[in-house]
Amino acid sequence: MAPRRLLLGTVLALAASAGGARAQGADPARATRFIQSTGQELVAALNSNAPLAQRRQQVSAILHRAVDVEGVGRFILGRWWRQASAAEQQEYMRLFDETLIRNLSARFGEYQGVRFSLGRAQQRTEDDVLVNTIIERPNLAPFSLDWRVGDVNGQPKVVDVIAEGTSLRLTQRSEYSAVIQRNNGQISALLAAMRNQIQQLAAREGR
Amino acid sequence: MRLKRSALPLLLAALLPALGACATRPPADDPESVAEFRQNNDPIEPFNRGSYAVHQAIDRNVLAPVARGYRAVVPTPVRLGVRNVLANLRTPVILVNDVLQGEPRRAGDTLGRFVVNSTLGVGGIFDVAGNRLGVRGHAEDFGQTFARWGVGEGPYLFIPVIGPSNPRDLTGFGLGIAADPLVWLGQGATVDALTYSRTGATVVDTREELLDPLDAVERTSLDSYATLRSAYRQRRRAEIDNRTGGGTPSGFGTGFGVGPGEPSAPAGR
Repeated sequence: MAPRRLLLGTVLALAASAGGARAQGADPARATRFIQSTGQELVAALNSNAPLAQRRQQVSAILHRAVDVEGVGRFILGRWWRQASAAEQQEYMRLFDETLIRNLSARFGEYQGVRFSLGRAQQRTEDDVLVNTIIERPNLAPFSLDWRVGDVNGQPKVVDVIAEGTSLRLTQRSEYSAVIQRNNGQISALLAAMRNQIQQLAAREGR
Repeated sequence: MRLKRSALPLLLAALLPALGACATRPPADDPESVAEFRQNNDPIEPFNRGSYAVHQAIDRNVLAPVARGYRAVVPTPVRLGVRNVLANLRTPVILVNDVLQGEPRRAGDTLGRFVVNSTLGVGGIFDVAGNRLGVRGHAEDFGQTFARWGVGEGPYLFIPVIGPSNPRDLTGFGLGIAADPLVWLGQGATVDALTYSRTGATVVDTREELLDPLDAVERTSLDSYATLRSAYRQRRRAEIDNRTGGGTPSGFGTGFGVGPGEPSAPAGR
């Protein structure tokens, strides 16, 4: 009994030290500071009185700094990434990037007066940190949003956003894959749909 | 939502043709696509997409316009009162499920909320327990209880008006109706009238709450069916693990899996 317990203890200790080593990449305190500062920048940009085009540029700059756009884009295309040609991959990344920014900027109006605060404690997952925030908008009930922060080349980056247990990147992967599948596995069909969506979003913004 | 008692078997019978409409399983030599097929858990996808089209037609022509009218005409405080009353009426079933899941603390919260809101909250119009005493509501249903007992969800189902579901959650939905104290009041014109009004109010209230999230899905998703399927299943998993913020007012059954989680104040516009 005793040797077995000893063995178990050793294994646990090893696991803990391994975990400790890995956690350097995803340090909860650092991830929290990162989300706090990024969130403040984003809220300031959303609430500024600058013209729409300028605000979009500001938001775009913040997102490019804070989000692992490349990694998220690849994750969402999932198994189709390797089946895409180099040209398709490049075009997809360009469209994905624009979709991300447009989807947000099309809703700038809804986010007027937005406030955010850090919510309940962050938690560490295998190689990321989940940072919880509370988003408040005028006249609407506050809601909770979790930011998954990973470590990309030594820098903390947002890799996913989770609302009420629903991960944005998982949902979007399912959506994109459905579009490709329903078009006989053609990635070009997804690209066409994305292009069309960007046009509609641009039209909605009135420019 | 409370269907007329005879409607449930009909609803289930309507699902039987589904067995004929199976999605083509991907070839076994493509492991990634097989993995995705399993992960989507939607073997009767063609049938479900048909149901979704039917639902969208009903929604576009009836549910959404009524919900928009309700939001436009009825002032926010009144809508909030209606939402609170409906939520309070659901508490007994939530309590049963808290108990069945062996969650004494949550059961205590639910019972306390029911007593306080039914009395001080004037029949549930005001959420005194939540706003004054800080006891927030949460949702539970028989589908979640089954899940906690280890029952698998079964294949994904989309049912017009009810929304995304699966055999486990749909059974739980039916049980939730059967277990509702209003059923025990007996029969008669008054009970029937109460039941119909409550069902109607629940559908309208729930759809009103989902106006913004579902509009956003319609606007941004390239395949709203796939988006709702994924969101529902993820959200459901979080609800089962009690990882969501609080009580979802999604009154109709398990409802659409995309609403805001907290019992939220109606949008004031």
